Amino acid sequence: MFRKYRRFLKGLSTNWVGTAGVVLTTSAFVLFIFMEALRLLGIVTNAYVGLISYMVLPGLFLLGLALIPVGWWIYRKGTGRSTAELLSERFDPEILQPKATGSRLVATIAVLTLVNVLFLGAGGARMLHFMDEPVFCGTACHRVMHPEWITYQDSPHARVKCVGCHVGEGAEALVDAKLNGLWQIVSATFDLYERPIPTPVHQLRPARETCEKCHWPDKFHGSRVKTFPRFGFDRESTPSYTALSLKIGSGTGEQRGEIHWHVAEANEVRYASRNDERETMLWVEVRKGDDFWRFTNRKIEQEETGAVRTMDCVDCHNRATHVYEDPERAIDERIHRGELDLSIPYLKREALAALTSGYADTAAATAGIRNALTGVYARRFRAETAALQESIEDAVGVLQALYRRNVHPLMNVSWNPYPDHRGHRGGSGCFRCHNPDLVDAYGEPIPYDCTLCHSFLSYDSSAPFAFLEAPDSTSADFSMHAYLRDEFLRSASR
Amino acid sequence: MSNKRRSILAISRLPLLVFSLAAPAGGTVRSARALCFVLLACLSAGAGSASGQSAAGKCMTCHKEKSPGLYNQWFMSKHAMHNVTCIDCHGAERGDADAFLHEGALIATLVTPKDCGACHAKETKEVDESYHATAGLILESQDAYMAHAVGGYPAAIAGCESCHGAKIKIDPDSPNKLARESWPNSGIGRLNPDGSKGSCSACHTRHSFSKAQARRPEACGKCHLGPDHPQKEIYEESKHGNAFFTHIDDMNLDADRWVVGIDYFEAPTCATCHMSASPTQPLTHDVGKRISWTLRPPISTMKENWRDKRKSMQAVCTACHGSAFVDGHYYQMDGVVQLYNKKFAEPAGKIMKTIQERGLLENPSSFGNKVEWTYWELWHHEGRRARHGASMMGPDYTWWHGIYDVAQHFYFKLLPEARAFGDPEVDARIDDLLANDPFHQWMRRPTEEIKADIRSGKMQRFYEDLFQPAE
Repeated sequence: MFRKYRRFLKGLSTNWVGTAGVVLTTSAFVLFIFMEALRLLGIVTNAYVGLISYMVLPGLFLLGLALIPVGWWIYRKGTGRSTAELLSERFDPEILQPKATGSRLVATIAVLTLVNVLFLGAGGARMLHFMDEPVFCGTACHRVMHPEWITYQDSPHARVKCVGCHVGEGAEALVDAKLNGLWQIVSATFDLYERPIPTPVHQLRPARETCEKCHWPDKFHGSRVKTFPRFGFDRESTPSYTALSLKIGSGTGEQRGEIHWHVAEANEVRYASRNDERETMLWVEVRKGDDFWRFTNRKIEQEETGAVRTMDCVDCHNRATHVYEDPERAIDERIHRGELDLSIPYLKREALAALTSGYADTAAATAGIRNALTGVYARRFRAETAALQESIEDAVGVLQALYRRNVHPLMNVSWNPYPDHRGHRGGSGCFRCHNPDLVDAYGEPIPYDCTLCHSFLSYDSSAPFAFLEAPDSTSADFSMHAYLRDEFLRSASR
Repeated sequence: MSNKRRSILAISRLPLLVFSLAAPAGGTVRSARALCFVLLACLSAGAGSASGQSAAGKCMTCHKEKSPGLYNQWFMSKHAMHNVTCIDCHGAERGDADAFLHEGALIATLVTPKDCGACHAKETKEVDESYHATAGLILESQDAYMAHAVGGYPAAIAGCESCHGAKIKIDPDSPNKLARESWPNSGIGRLNPDGSKGSCSACHTRHSFSKAQARRPEACGKCHLGPDHPQKEIYEESKHGNAFFTHIDDMNLDADRWVVGIDYFEAPTCATCHMSASPTQPLTHDVGKRISWTLRPPISTMKENWRDKRKSMQAVCTACHGSAFVDGHYYQMDGVVQLYNKKFAEPAGKIMKTIQERGLLENPSSFGNKVEWTYWELWHHEGRRARHGASMMGPDYTWWHGIYDVAQHFYFKLLPEARAFGDPEVDARIDDLLANDPFHQWMRRPTEEIKADIRSGKMQRFYEDLFQPAE
């Protein structure tokens, strides 16, 4: 049997093209079986191997199959003889013997074709499955996707597959994604992509299909306390705290005006933005049952139009997964978590300076961060940091990791590359709609009062919950403290 | 302010009242809430201005984020230290033309001397009586005519009115009810909708309202500089300015009490001489109280009660200088001012008057003819520079930027341009001046003869009478 198969293969290996086809097909097939065996036996666990098993090998297999007839065609043209003559020359007469069911050669080809189809079918299914794995998305185009891959792995959605949000469900979504993927192959191959790659807000599946599978508005209740520590630039890196009690409910019943009110089932918020960039609003409409409000931007000529969009999760949570950290906040957070030793003098100031000095690439940053930090403490604070060498060494490591996580020079991803619309840092986010310029017919703006969405438990205060204490009448902040304490008590007891 | 506070109180207490009335209708939770609100209501009533405070607390909460610079300036200010909050200055009364409802409080962006006067009554009164407060009334003056006709409205707004003060216009469609052509404006003679004149923030820059800042020459230098009144530059040229910048750290600029010679002594600033306390007299916000000459008009005159005013200024000088030094300064200063008056300003004025009376000007509109510009700059630019230079001990401004320019433009611009009309009456007046006026006869005499007269002191005697101020 094996000898027969070998003879058959020899028959197909008409010239170097045919031979290459036979070799490619056979070795790809054998290797695939081998790799799958290793995977199933648990010997190979690296998901990256899937790129070879499910993409490279089936590809080579197909290429080989295509080369065989090409080789035959060249052979026939070269010799100038008929197919029948050539067949009888290259194959045993017995397998060319005509039978009722066709010759043995036809049968062999039919069986092998069946095997090919089965193999390609199974391989294709495995390939599609593999392409659904985050490791495929994150590493196949490794340079392009590197920043997204790194931030994804460190995100709250690290256990949700990329395709869960970026592709969605159903045949249509799959076809869309694959067609889009074809273009991505072209743009990655010919270096046509933008750096950094723009946020695919317009291609995302509707949040109702994706996000709301796990997070649905009916289940947003009450408040969530978040504390933002901030360390000073003084010698002690003195901390100050802003703690917010975020009113995250969906505003059902009497609890109107809470944050997730925007996506509560009964409410619909629509808007149009300048150039469809979702930054500067042209107008905003709110529909709640039969009630309707419309706010227009008094600073924009009303002839200007933009695509109309119904607000959903990603209008605010536009960076729910690929979270890039602000360098100062990132350092504050690492100090707060205890990863950086607060007994190092001027820790915050020096760490931030070391982290954000404009490095050309990651290698330069790795060396530069070490130089900056160890240098400044060796030169200027040698005596007092003699006992802190280990802490400084740890800090170097933490800062280097922070840099690698957030800055990706190959993709032009520097600090804060994308706007984050959750909250209102830098006057964006909530303030895109909640600002004095978006007014109704009577000139009344959309409310933009700070305590609309959150109460304050502290505000640049020396303690995280300073406002729960009685206000100090000798402080300049007395009025604010009293007001905010009062506001918190009022809204919390509602 | 007390009225304002009351109206704010009324607005912000209302919800508490409603809550405390409505709440007991519910169950236990509601009752607890009701108790909470009744307590809060009582607390706010007990604390007097607690509700005003609550409104201010709300302002601070947002503005700390939205305008951190403004907030931090206030936070570090004396106002914050004395619990003077946003609403104390910005609270408005129903019916105020510029009042608007903002986050539940009736406020006004514009803070006028009337508002500041609620606490700073003496200062407000002094400012209101001062020449500064009249700076906005220039709309009828030659300067305003020139800005609007020769320049144009935008320049008048951003230029002239920024110093002199705009007439604040109300625009009902503006979010803060203030029309953009007159807001922002911190001109010292601003005409406010409440009838008050001026703007304290012209000198006491908001929201720090720092004493140190108002005491420094830069505060005045916002307006008192440039070709027509370079007081800032003259001060920098003078020994006074020199000493100030050298000893800036010893000037005790932040001190509450700031008496020249006692609390600081290295140098005076503009404020020292014109406003601040001296060992013998109190601080005044009436900036003209120590000024004896008016150096602004084409021909300088002595001001009303000039002897008293001069005495006040000399009382400041003597904190650091001997009385002979002070007398000498005034002698020299009076000499230059009257030199300008008698030798150049009066004849130039007469020549211009003749030209106008004879109907020689080609264009009917003021500033439509070259000779008018020449005359204007003679008194309004170099003429003032010379006078200001002499009065503040700035030698270069007295001579090279001053009388030198006046003389050159008088002899070689004004006189030739006047002669160019070819009018016998104008020519006769000029000829008479050059032939018979001892100040001007030099032109037709040989140089050596004049040099001899200078050496002998004969030339100086022509000017003998100028050193005594005329009544």
